[in-house]
Amino acid sequence: MLRKYSNHRTQSDNVKLGALTAFSAGMVNVASVTVFFAFTSNITGYYAVLAQEISKGNWYQGAVVLLWVTLFFLGSFLSNFVIIQGKGRWNQYISHAIPVMLEFLSILFVGIYLEAFYQNTLKETEILVGALLFAMGLQNGLTASISNSAVKTTHLTGLTTDLAILVSMFSKHENRHNKTLVDKFHLLLIIMVTYVAGGLFGGIGYLYLENGIFYLTCAILLIIALYDFYKIGRIRRIFEKRKREVVMQIR
Amino acid sequence: MNRDVLVKLNYLLLALLLIGASFIIRHAESPERLIQGEWIEKEWRLEKDNASVVEESQMQSRLKKEILQNVEDLHFGIWIFEEDGILKSTSSKHNDAIEWFIKGRGHVLELRRDGRTIESFQIQKISKTTLVLHLNFDLQVKGIIEIVLEKKEQSDQYAKKI
Repeated sequence: MLRKYSNHRTQSDNVKLGALTAFSAGMVNVASVTVFFAFTSNITGYYAVLAQEISKGNWYQGAVVLLWVTLFFLGSFLSNFVIIQGKGRWNQYISHAIPVMLEFLSILFVGIYLEAFYQNTLKETEILVGALLFAMGLQNGLTASISNSAVKTTHLTGLTTDLAILVSMFSKHENRHNKTLVDKFHLLLIIMVTYVAGGLFGGIGYLYLENGIFYLTCAILLIIALYDFYKIGRIRRIFEKRKREVVMQIR
Repeated sequence: MNRDVLVKLNYLLLALLLIGASFIIRHAESPERLIQGEWIEKEWRLEKDNASVVEESQMQSRLKKEILQNVEDLHFGIWIFEEDGILKSTSSKHNDAIEWFIKGRGHVLELRRDGRTIESFQIQKISKTTLVLHLNFDLQVKGIIEIVLEKKEQSDQYAKKI
């Protein structure tokens, strides 16, 4: 899911990564709206809100939105920075897993803070929403970067546009049998459905788990980060077993 | 211009945006501070189609009663936002306090009783003198209710002037 890069990735790699990350993004977004009355994966909307607040002369609110957008930017920047700077320095899987672990830490921080220290002040709300937007920036930057922009888990405006274009493409018979287009359609559809499912799960789950919903998101991120670790270990074990068998046969 | 210089300018711009936004948040008047004090209800506006003036005023009083049934104290028209997060009315009869919280980017006023949300308003405008709240209600009536409040000191000064 994480260790392959760009065109080396299979459809299955992208589907698994897209589904899990979109599900976690949907959960975080709805949980954040419920707790803080602020979206965490709605950057397009925030650009409009930023302009609106400035035009109304609400400098404080405008600055808060500007800070959030900049933190999302910083998250995406850091994600790709780690990936490209890590090339040749350390294992590719490690460079891809670092942004996921940073995202994990940001969301864990929010969960722990809400549980132990939250006093419901505006300052805390601003910082915690900022941490979640930074986490979403990390995630979106990672998925877009390693999948050659095929997977964007919080960019639903672009996704809806791409889906609509594909559906219209399928009005031509020959396109319905074009594997590349069909695969892309399946990937986008899965991302959209899992994002909505994550949102539903986040909304309903919050009623029962409350702040625990953030820990659940962390668990999903751990699965994403450790899945390839498990797979690499499995491949290594199979390889060593075969190696032993070959040595036995030679003897 | 040299590309290396442009890249450095990008980093500088990013740092300036972060520092600038943090500076404004730190020094500008926060809605949480602005809201503290005594506010007098000045106006209730209902955005609604197909209603005559008479119908509308009857509708407004009924709606006001129904919407604020959980926040009876506020029927008296005076909202006192205390520094410790308690919302009171000058003629409050209830012992159980209503707590107020500012959420989002400072654009949502949430009211809670016993830790349970009883109402949340969109803060449409907040200044030292005026507070405009919007309420999206889920009754079978189309529209938004706008509540206009004025800071007490401001109101007193105006009265003295007259």
